[in-house]
Amino acid sequence: MPSQDAKRAPEEAGERRLSRRSLLQGAATAGAAGLAATAIGAAGPALAASSPPAPDRSSGRSSGRSSGRSPAGPIMVHVRDTRSGDIEVFAGTSQARLRDKDLAARIARAIG
Amino acid sequence: MSSHREAPEISKDPVADSTDVYAFVSPDTPGRVTLIANYIPLQSPAGGPNFYEFGDDVLYEIHVDNNGDGRADVSFQFRFRTTVRNPETFLYNTGPIQSLDSPNWNRRQSYDVSMSGRTIGAGLACPPCNIGPLSTPDYGALAAQAVHQLGGGITVFAGQRAEGFYVDLGAIFDLGDLRPFEQLHATFGLPALVAAPGVNATNNVNVHSIAIQVPVSALTRSGHPTIGVWTTASRQRVRLWDADQGENVDSGPFRQVSRLGNPLVNEVLIPLGHKDQWNSLPPSDDKRFASYVTQPGLAALLPVLYPGVFPSLAALVKSAKPRADLEAILLTGIPSGVIPGFTNFTGPVLADMLRLNTSVPPTPSAKQSIYGLLGGDAAGFPNGRRVTDDVVAIELRALAGVTYPLIEANFKPDAAAGQLTDGLTPASVHAPYLGHFPYLGVPYSGYDEPS
Repeated sequence: MPSQDAKRAPEEAGERRLSRRSLLQGAATAGAAGLAATAIGAAGPALAASSPPAPDRSSGRSSGRSSGRSPAGPIMVHVRDTRSGDIEVFAGTSQARLRDKDLAARIARAIG
Repeated sequence: MSSHREAPEISKDPVADSTDVYAFVSPDTPGRVTLIANYIPLQSPAGGPNFYEFGDDVLYEIHVDNNGDGRADVSFQFRFRTTVRNPETFLYNTGPIQSLDSPNWNRRQSYDVSMSGRTIGAGLACPPCNIGPLSTPDYGALAAQAVHQLGGGITVFAGQRAEGFYVDLGAIFDLGDLRPFEQLHATFGLPALVAAPGVNATNNVNVHSIAIQVPVSALTRSGHPTIGVWTTASRQRVRLWDADQGENVDSGPFRQVSRLGNPLVNEVLIPLGHKDQWNSLPPSDDKRFASYVTQPGLAALLPVLYPGVFPSLAALVKSAKPRADLEAILLTGIPSGVIPGFTNFTGPVLADMLRLNTSVPPTPSAKQSIYGLLGGDAAGFPNGRRVTDDVVAIELRALAGVTYPLIEANFKPDAAAGQLTDGLTPASVHAPYLGHFPYLGVPYSGYDEPS
């Protein structure tokens, strides 16, 4: 006989996935999808822009330069538009902007 | 007011919500400027067991522009860190807290401060909140331990203080009612009101202050004594609720979510649909909002709310002449030659900054006017802002036309314009202001308030 925990597990997993998706902050656009992940399999996405950990805070804008290192901590992904493949990736105090239709489509499929 | 809960989005994020900015030449140390930025509005002192604290996830900054471009030349950045000594108790403290290293204090906060990217203080202790006579028995002395000397003539404090801003929020936001004059209010056909004394809605509540005292020479350029001051709070772009850990995870670059320079600008001049955008921008972008200053909606409302009381103002509004006086007070500073012997002009860039001419010496307390420059006291608002200045009355009077003769000498302000007030003074604040850094009073304790 399955335990109570085993019975509840699929529902809880679904709740967690929904919670992560719905709570990802950022500018949402029509048709956009968001996904948080602790790692992302970068299948050769085109790097459109990225920012280093030291933004120009006083102006509220960041400059565009990649650190070239794998960041510690979680990586968060915001798919702004699945059709154009407009994706933002966040880690630490950095962000990168990608345009990758295939990756956006895979992420969208992953969250159903 | 002056910027408490002033915009729809930031009103939902009190930890990042700036409420007031003060900048003045320190009366007890005239070679130094004191800058104060307050956050976390309208704190009920009894708000435990998780008492108020700065956000570890917020970047707090105080900026100084010294070349008139509306951009920061000197920025002080504050990052906070909270530690819990014993996570297995629900208590904020397990006994009296009589020193900042007391083992009885369970949840404490410290911070690092940098000046334009260079760390000038690390691991500096904040005081606890003022809880009551058993938990924080000598709060004044305890908080004094959190005044840190950083060297180079810089002094810093970050922690809870008594709200020093006084305003009759309840009446003003009830359709512009000023209790001392409410017998003159239109009342929209409802029964007439009877004049009454003002009620200080921000009395007996606390705020969290970031205060720093800096040598004038560290902020100004040689030969240019006027600075522009504002504060910002920024958050990282992404926040994720990690349900597994029961905590938020933040990521990405910081983006500005709150800004404050002159009091009441975003509160009562910027329209509802633009307030949060205004909060996200630097002062250098304020040209896009200039029309809300030079054609202020509140100036048009006064003659409607108080029929027959402001005929000159009504005519001025009807003329649609831009209010160059308000533009000077709030966006450029007052050029020389307008007020004899005084200027805090920073140039033509339209930028909402609290402008302080640091060459104006502090006025002795006995000779100060709470109406600042309008009261003939050049060391008060809008030349910087002292903790006791009546910025509500000053701005109401300016909006009502008192300062328009600076632009058109033959303009005769309405008699009522020079008397406008919500009926409050510094004496309406129960916690006495301090005569020394950090100047705002000892916070109210949760044991005593609400009473």
